[in-house]
Formats: sequence, C-alpha cells, structure tokens
Amino acid sequence: MRREKLGVVLALTALLAAACGTSGGGTPTTGAAIVFGAAVSLTGAQSKEGGLTKQGYDLWLDWINQRGGIVVNGVKHPVEIKYEDDQSTPNLSATLVQKLITDEKAQFILGPYGSAATATDAIVAEKNGVPMVEANGAAQSIFSKGYKFTFGVLSPANKYLTGVLDMAATLSPKPTTIAMLTANDNFSVEVAKAVEDYAPTKGFQVIFTKQYPAAAPEVSGLISQAARLNPDIVMNSGHLAESIAINKGAKQLGLNAKIFAYSVGPSTPDFIKALGPDANYVFDGSQWTPQVKYKPSFYLSVGEYVKAYKTKYSTTDDPDYHVAESTAACLAFQKAIENAGSLDATKVRDALAGLDVMTFFGQIKFDSRGINTFKPMVVEQIQNGAHYTVFPANVANGKPQYPTPSWSSR
Amino acid sequence: MSQFTQQVILGLLLGGVYVAVALGFSLVWGILNIVNLAHGALVIVGSYITWDLFTRWHIDPFLSLPIDALVLFVIGYALQRGVINRVIRAPLLFTFLLTFGINLIIVSLLLLIFTADFRSVTPSYSGNGLHLGSVTIPYIRFGGLVVAFLLAGALWAILNRTRIGAAILAVGADRDAAQLVGIDLRHMYALTFGIGAAFAGVAGGIISTFQSITPTAGDPYTLQAFAVVILGGLGRVSATVLGGLTFGLIEILGQSAPGLGSGYANAIAFVVLVIVLVVRPRGLLGRLA
Amino acid sequence: MIAREERVPRSLRRFAVPIGIALLAYVILVPLTSTDTAQQAGLPLLADKLWFRIATTVAMFVVMASAWNIIGGLTGYASFGNVAFFGLGAYTVGVLVSSRSWPFPLALILAPVTASLFALIVGIPLLRLRGHYFAVATLGIGVAVGEVVNNLAPLGASTGLFLPIVRSDLLFFYLMLGAAAVAVLSTWLILRTRFGYGLLAIRENEEAAKIIGVNTNLYKVAAFCIAAALTGLAGGIFAQWNSFINQENVFAISDNVQMILMAVVGGAGTVLGPVAGAISLELIIQTLAGGGSKAVYSQIGLGVLLAVCVIFIPRGVIDFFGGQSRLSLQYLRQTLRETSA
Repeated sequence: MRREKLGVVLALTALLAAACGTSGGGTPTTGAAIVFGAAVSLTGAQSKEGGLTKQGYDLWLDWINQRGGIVVNGVKHPVEIKYEDDQSTPNLSATLVQKLITDEKAQFILGPYGSAATATDAIVAEKNGVPMVEANGAAQSIFSKGYKFTFGVLSPANKYLTGVLDMAATLSPKPTTIAMLTANDNFSVEVAKAVEDYAPTKGFQVIFTKQYPAAAPEVSGLISQAARLNPDIVMNSGHLAESIAINKGAKQLGLNAKIFAYSVGPSTPDFIKALGPDANYVFDGSQWTPQVKYKPSFYLSVGEYVKAYKTKYSTTDDPDYHVAESTAACLAFQKAIENAGSLDATKVRDALAGLDVMTFFGQIKFDSRGINTFKPMVVEQIQNGAHYTVFPANVANGKPQYPTPSWSSR
Repeated sequence: MSQFTQQVILGLLLGGVYVAVALGFSLVWGILNIVNLAHGALVIVGSYITWDLFTRWHIDPFLSLPIDALVLFVIGYALQRGVINRVIRAPLLFTFLLTFGINLIIVSLLLLIFTADFRSVTPSYSGNGLHLGSVTIPYIRFGGLVVAFLLAGALWAILNRTRIGAAILAVGADRDAAQLVGIDLRHMYALTFGIGAAFAGVAGGIISTFQSITPTAGDPYTLQAFAVVILGGLGRVSATVLGGLTFGLIEILGQSAPGLGSGYANAIAFVVLVIVLVVRPRGLLGRLA
Repeated sequence: MIAREERVPRSLRRFAVPIGIALLAYVILVPLTSTDTAQQAGLPLLADKLWFRIATTVAMFVVMASAWNIIGGLTGYASFGNVAFFGLGAYTVGVLVSSRSWPFPLALILAPVTASLFALIVGIPLLRLRGHYFAVATLGIGVAVGEVVNNLAPLGASTGLFLPIVRSDLLFFYLMLGAAAVAVLSTWLILRTRFGYGLLAIRENEEAAKIIGVNTNLYKVAAFCIAAALTGLAGGIFAQWNSFINQENVFAISDNVQMILMAVVGGAGTVLGPVAGAISLELIIQTLAGGGSKAVYSQIGLGVLLAVCVIFIPRGVIDFFGGQSRLSLQYLRQTLRETSA
C-alpha cells in the first residue's frame, strides 16, 4: 500500500518538476530532464569492467541529448545519468541504488557490472518499484525469482559457449573431447553447466571439468592435468585475468588443442595486447562484435557505433561487447519510454515487458522472466591479431581457422 | 606418476613466488612488529614498474628487477620514516589500521596513473619451457623460483653477515637495548621497512611475467604472505622459504585432491594453515618462545 | 568502579546523557513517521527508504563492531574470522527460509545458535593461540568457511540463495537496532561482572590472570561464543533484509577488516567506542562513496583519514572525547600487580 503511494508521490513530483521545467524553460516542447541512475564499479577489483559499462551508457547519453532527449508524447526530455561508485562491493551497491532513487531522484536504474551486484540491485529496484535494465549480469538465477522490474538485454549465461559447440560441430575433422576450466562464481558456473548439458546432444564428450576459486586464480596445475588428456577443445568459463593466464599456461605446459574458447576475455583489446601473437586462433562467445550485420530500426548502425566510440574515447580500439550491451540497455529504456508515452514507472515497466525492437546490438525482446533470449550469441576468433566474427555464418565476416596449430609449429 | 611429479614441480614453482612475496612481509613483521596490509600494493607497484620499463623500452622483466628493488626501497624508507614511525610503539592493531589506509591510497593512485586495464608482461620466451620427458618446467616460472632463492640468500646474508643486519636483528630483539648501544632507531626502522618493500618490488616484477596486473591484483598476495609467514614461522629466512614452498604445494595439489571439487583449493590451503597453527603454534620451523 | 566513574569529566557527563537520550529517541521515533498512520496524520516524512537503508547498515555494523570488541577489545584476541559468524548466521536463515520454507522469526532464532556452536568448536583449539597467531588462524577460518559454502550445492553454491522479498523497512531497522542494543548492553553488562574483569585480566596478562584464579580457557571461549552469537544474529537479519546472499556479500574479509577498524577507531575495549566508530566510519564511507569520476579521490580521502585518525587520536574517538578505557586499565594493572606476587 505504502509503496504504491510512494510511486504516486514520485510520479507527482516528476509531473511537478516537468511543469516547472516547461514554464521556466520558455520552449514548450522541452520537458524536464529524465534522470537515470547507475551504480557501477569505478574503483576496486571490477573497475575495468565498470568503466566499460559507463562508457556504453555515456555513449548513448551524448547521442540522445544531441537530439534533444527522449520524446514523450511530443515533448522532448533531455537525459541525465547519475553515477555512483560501488567500489566493486555488492552490499554498497544496494545502498547506492537506494540513494540514486531517493536522493538523486533517479526514475530509472541502469544495471551495475557483475551478477552478484545485479542480483542485489534488482532486489532494491523491485522493492522501490523502479524499473531496472541491466546489461552486465548474465546469470539467469536473478531472473527466476519472479521480479517484475528487472530486465536484462544480454543473452543469458547458458548461451555463452554453446555457440562455440554449434560451430565446432560444423568443422572437420570434427573435434570430440572437451576440457572445461571454470571459475566458481555464479555466472561462470552457469556457463559451464550449460556446456556440460549441451555437449552430449551435439556429439561431444566432456572429459575434464574442474573449478578454481574465482578470487585468486592459479590455474597452472589444472592446465597440466588437462594437458595429459589431450582434449580437442579447451574451454574456460571465467574472466579476463584467467583467460590470459590459461593461454600463457597452455603454451608453457604444452597443452595443444584444436580449439581454445574462453567465455570472457578474448573480446577485450587487453587480451591481444597482453598475449601478442599467442592470442591468435583463440575463440570466444561474444554478446556482440563490431562485425555483426544487424539492421537497426533506430539509433546508430553498427559501423556508426564503432566510429562514435572511437571518436568519443579517442582510441583506435574497437568497443568490446561490454560497452555495446551497456548502450543497448539505454536503448531498451529509450524505446520503452517512447512506447509508453509516459514516465510512469509501471507504464514503462509494462512497455519494457512488451518491447520488441531491432538495434545495432541485435534484437531486444524479453521473455516472461525478463531475459533477452531472442538475441543470438556470436562466435569470434582472433586471427592475425584482429577479431573476426566467424559464426553464425549469416553475421560472420570471416571463416574459422581450424584446427589451431600446435604451439611448437606456430 | 609423472602427472604427480608435474604437479609437485608446479607447486614448488608457485611456492617460489610466495617465498618472494613473503620474505619482505616476514622481515617487517618480525623486526618491526608491523603486519603490513599495504604489502600486496607494494608488490603491484613493482609489477607496474617492470611493465612500464618493458612496454616503453623493451627492458627484459628480469633485468628490471634491481630497478624495482631500488624504487621500492626509496618508497618504503620514506613511508616508514615519514608516517609509520609515528605509531611504531602503538599496539599492533594501530599499525594495522595505518597500513590499511596506506594500501587504500596506493591502490587508488595506481588506478589513477595506470587505469584499471589489465597489463601483462610477455617477453618472447614467456611461453617456452624445459621438457624433461613428460614433465615440463616453464622458463618464466623457473626464473621466478631462482630469483626467490637469490632473494632468500640475500636476506640471510644481509641479516647474518653485515653490520646493518646485526643492527636490524638487534632492533628486532630489543628496541631499548639497541638504542642504548647507539643504534639510530628511526633510521633502522625505515631501513628495515625499505628492504621489505624492495623485496616486495622484486616479487612484483616476477609476478608481472605470468599474471595480469591491475591496481587491486595485490590484495590476494597480502593474504598469502600472511599465511606463508605463519605456516613457516616468524623470524627466520629458512622458515619463510619452507612456508612458501609448502603453501604453493598445498594449493596445486589441493586442486587434484581426490573426492573433492578443485573449487576447494583455497579452502584446503587455509584449513591446512589452521591445523598447522593448532598443532605447531609457532609454525613449521618456528622458534619456541 | 566508583573511582573510575568520578574521573570522567563532570561537564562531559552532563552533556553526554541528554545527547545520548536525544539520539536514542531520534532513532526510535523518526522511523515511525514513515508509517501510514503518521503520514495520514500529516507528519513530515523524516525517514525515507534511503534513511532506512543507511540506518540499518549502520546498526548492523554497530552489532558487528561491538561483538568484535568483546573478543578483540576486551579479551585482546584480535579475531579476523568474525565474518564467518556473520556468514553462518546469514546462511542459517537463508537455507531455512528459502529451501525449507521456515518462517523467518523461527529461522532467525537459530542463526546465533549456529554461529556460536561453530565458535565453540573452533574456539577451543584456536584460543590457545596468541597474538598474531590467533589473528591468522581465525583469518584462515574466515576464508575457508566462505570457500566451502561457495562450493556446497545444498547451500546454493556460487549462485547464492534468494529469499522471498519482505517489504518492511521498519521491521528490519528495528530488528537491527534491537540487535545493536543487545550488543551494547551485553558489553556493558559484561564489564560490570566478574566475567568482564576476567576478560580484561586475560588481555593484560594471561598468566597473571590464571594465577589470580581466572578460568582463562572458559572465559575466552565464552567471550568468543557471545561475539559469534551477536554477529550471527546480525547475519541472520541481513539475509532476510537483503533477500540475496552469497559468498561475496556475507563472507567478505573486507567486512571483517571494517568491523575491526570501527572498533579500534572508536576505542577498543570500551562500551560505546565501537558504536561511535561504526556510526562515524559507516557514515563517512557512505558519504565518500559518491559517484562520478571523483570516486578514486574519495578512496584516497578515506585512506588519508584513517592514517590521520591513527596518528593523531590513537586511543580512539571515545577516549579522545574523554572516555574511560585507560582508567579501568590502570585500575586493573594495579590490582594485578597487587595480587600477582
């Protein structure tokens, strides 16, 4: 009861603020700013990924404000994003989201980085009845609890590496055995579990599967164990740091596989910088690549997006998928607000639930749980120090280089 | 069998890294009675120096180790002389708090200077290894182990064969008595901390060759140094060496422990630590009080 | 005892009591303005959802810092494993509520029980260790328990546990406030009993304490179990309040460091020190946690603040403003000297 009332109060405040904005601003077609809030990790262990998330949000922010803002019933509302730094600790994240909602008057919440923080924030958003679209917590467990206000634009964890298996099934000679190294956090375990379930249906056999502690990964022992078994496919479901360590360790310890595929890591520029030529031939399952050929119905095309990224952050690196999915979360909100023709939290939530739109990131459409199960994952491979999208064929700009030559013959 | 040999070798190589990390931590703790929570951060400062020299001037990571040591010695000396000396006689928990604050500052500064990007030092020989039958010894890791032993030898020689070392040990044994015989305590404190930091820097240089470096990458190493020093026993170089190698072995062998998921590796390592403490409260090689 | 109280500056006492009462009235009454009746009666909303979030967090840290103070401050055994008690309490409630569908109040009663049982089991061997060695052993326990939980499927493993959302800010705030009151009162009571003097004696000189007839082993284990029960209670409340628990948020070693910081900055060994430390430090952390590109600087600021605190007010905030920790110590040292040959 009380919560509903709070919602009404919030809506009234927003209306009042809008009224003030129009009367004071002089231009009748410009409304009050729409305030988004995001608690991302700018310091602490996940500051790299948190920074990429913020880049993605800011990229959209610039674009929408250049156009005068989001159009709600013919009125343009400029957009503001308030950031808080959760210092990579999920418990702080919860307080900050509450602060964004209460103090900073954020009407909509953009998600943090990481599955644990996303789960925590989702609960706060739910308790406040404020819609949250998240782009960086792929663990499905968050979405199986019946929360009404949380949506994820990214493909869920279980799709991360199954695409690599689909691709591997088309190659010849067909690889058959898989060794899997998994960090024991909720996201990585979901990724691995999906592979273990899916592999037999495609005729693969998982012959080695081990978890390692996500906090302080030391993987050389596991790599040498895997090397004894001569697996055709080596998979890692973990994070950037371990994907680099595993690739280095594989070379040092003579682990030769036909396919090396890692869930997170190879898509970031850091991976190639760290490993140089040793990064070649590595596959990864990616939410998005700069080579995909989606035909967006609004916002930028894929090519324009890449260019905008490079200009804004004065870099020669391509945006990686963390950036793109974060931008996509903003796009989901923009379209839902436009469709709802209202800034009311519940109406926007309903519009999000019914959203079906094509963007540079792919299709955004949520299933009943709030997960975007409609966008495919793509498989990319590093070839001669550059990323190529190699699967599925209809979005690919390259062919998989297979099999990976042994370390000694490179 | 060769599988087991390989695991033991990898455990010892990892242990070498822990030895390198723990030597400085042990010195500072044993002599100054400071549990330095900024130790891991100092280690990573060393890593960044090695990375910077490698990317900028292509200086081989092993050649940059003396530079790491020098820079970190200066930082360590200044930190102790300027800041930590002021609470050196306060109870343990106060130096603990102070170094926690220093850790926060160093990590934040690293974030400002180097950003949160993952950095990695990859010399041309980094992927190669010595193949002895079915057993492989990666060169980089082996180099790390050699450096760790050199460090241990150097520390032992400094403490037992030089006048400065004698003075440091005297300070560790009895501050007031040391002062009475004319030792400049404030200088000796700073010198000890400086040497500890220099060793941390070298350890950081080694670490940068096989692990990605971020500003927060040092935090686990403080924890591990803590464990290694306790496992071996405080106050002896040989004890730290034994503790480090043992901890490395436990961690790697724990990954292939039968009947348990390898996710338990950390749990096993710390449970063994607790058991050792309960059975031998002064560590494996610790002196009896 | 009488001598000790007289040495607290009279002027300070004159202010402290009314300020204390006002503060207490504030935290008890202000939340009531958020009730429907109060709002319908046209009272101003003095406690919004953010107020509740922060106040509940502060109360939670008051519990944790006070509990730590009982084993670390009074007894002199610096535990780095108290966070394990928090986690065990949280998981007790988490498992019972989410998998066994127990009602929350019933599960909450078991949270301190589990935590103190665990403290009993590990405390008996570990409390024979002294100083750093005890610190590291408890650290090992803290890490190991978290890692084990993170691997156990019945406990949700790495996915963590989701509990049904309970939408009552008032409930959790008052629960946490109640736990904080229990923690503070326990400390106060302990310090007024033979048990408390035994603990202080152990801290000052364990051998001497033994000689004057303190059953040191029993006292230490009892203190450890009390600390565990209080911390476990806070963990249990947290589990239902946050509705999501995993290794990352209930077994965080950084939380353990934080409770020690609070107790020590406020004044370890005193009744109100941990309270002052928890309130001031948590509020500072919340304030500094501000966002944007300035985040790094606020971290540096926190580091500098800690260093300054340690260097300039090394005996804690409470002592700085005229507390009584040292006085009781002097008293104790004297009695010890007199009784122990």
